[in-house]
Amino acid sequence: MTFVWGLLWGLAAVMLIAGGAVVGVWWERKVAGRIQMRLGPQQIGPAGVLQMIADVPKLLFKEDIVPTGADKPVFRYAPLAVFAPVAMSVAVIPFWAGWAPLDSTVGMVFYLAIPSIGVLGILLSAWGSHNTLATIGGLRAAAQMISYEVPRSLAVLSVIILAGSLQPTKVMDAWQWWWVPLTFVGFLVYLIASIAEMNRGPFDLPEAESELVAGYFSDYSGFRWAIFMMGEYGAMISAALFGAAVFLGGYRWLPGVPGLVLFLVIAMLIITVVMWVKWTFPRLRQDHLMTFCWTVLTPLAIVQVVVAGVVALWL
Amino acid sequence: MSANDLALGAAMAAMVAGAAGTVFVADVPRLVISLGVFLLGVAAAFLVMGSPLLAVSQVFVYVGGVLVLVLFALMLSRRGGGERPRVESRHDIGAAVIALGVFLLLTVVLWPSAIDPEPVVVAPEAIGAALLGESLVAFELVGVLLLAALLAVLVIVKGGADR
Repeated sequence: MTFVWGLLWGLAAVMLIAGGAVVGVWWERKVAGRIQMRLGPQQIGPAGVLQMIADVPKLLFKEDIVPTGADKPVFRYAPLAVFAPVAMSVAVIPFWAGWAPLDSTVGMVFYLAIPSIGVLGILLSAWGSHNTLATIGGLRAAAQMISYEVPRSLAVLSVIILAGSLQPTKVMDAWQWWWVPLTFVGFLVYLIASIAEMNRGPFDLPEAESELVAGYFSDYSGFRWAIFMMGEYGAMISAALFGAAVFLGGYRWLPGVPGLVLFLVIAMLIITVVMWVKWTFPRLRQDHLMTFCWTVLTPLAIVQVVVAGVVALWL
Repeated sequence: MSANDLALGAAMAAMVAGAAGTVFVADVPRLVISLGVFLLGVAAAFLVMGSPLLAVSQVFVYVGGVLVLVLFALMLSRRGGGERPRVESRHDIGAAVIALGVFLLLTVVLWPSAIDPEPVVVAPEAIGAALLGESLVAFELVGVLLLAALLAVLVIVKGGADR
């Protein structure tokens, strides 16, 4: 029975992420249109909303091209290893008082650990493409993702210290409004490191189109390319939901259904901010990117952990 | 046979298959996948045996850290000209002997606790309290030891000139 429920929740998570990715692409193009004085989708349907329905069949019916020199099975299935962890990470997000799809006692660590499997998927797809640009992109992605995991985990650690639990629903039970100002630096570190983890601008060096074409997914097209996009947008949705819950209090601000609605609105605002950042800032240089992680974000996160630790003594 | 036994059996089958693949496959991406299957199998076994914290740490440290770094190093050392690197060794027999020796050693050491398996379920809070309480000195010493090892590697890699 548990197994059947798990399967159903898994399907629901994949549907949520896939649907969210489609809406996210449309929303991103609208946001980018406003920011950069471009049009964005506007021809098909009101405000171009039907564009997303047009995009999906286009991607599904494109020819599935596998390069001759590629390592074929690895090339074909590596995108799934990028997407699956993202869908898994949604499982531990606390949506409702005392309820998360998978209410694990180590949910907070689970959330931080699972995306690291995605790095492996990116490296394998880069290797499988057997292409120089893909290799460089994959190497950059791996270096960036394992480095930014450090400040990201430390930032979340500050909330774990305050709550005294690794269980997301318990963290939410313990949450107090004054944690928001106290952990605000931690939240910013978490947000920046999350953007780097999902390889989005201004940290999208691994897929920089002006130098690496598209990096580790240069050779992908059609629905395999769409899986990478679903992974990226899914990571954004998942990071926004988790940040909105454990850092910003999520549903705790209002009781009942309005609380859930507010939680989702906060998450959508975070997603919009992430898009705003992408369309505003230029791409960093690779060495600046690594220096920024190790000399700015990590020390800031450590200071945040110390602050949380000192405050937790008086709780 | 309960569902738990089935799950444990599946995890162990994954471990054996992954370990065999890691030893016998020479093609790098498949080797890394095999090693990944083995490590995830270990994590699954920890999970089934009631140690979710250990399972999650296994994924965090070994799949997300060690395995990624192994693949990273292999990709960096990749030679040009379309040639695919293969992992081959001239010391297969010696490696097998050492592996067998380690296996025997572990079997002999762990046998007393293996014949009477009591399921040990420790809450994450208890592990945290032990690491920062009674085992604090040992915990910190291991940290210092690892730091010293890392510095030693740096010194060796840098070579004689800057030493």
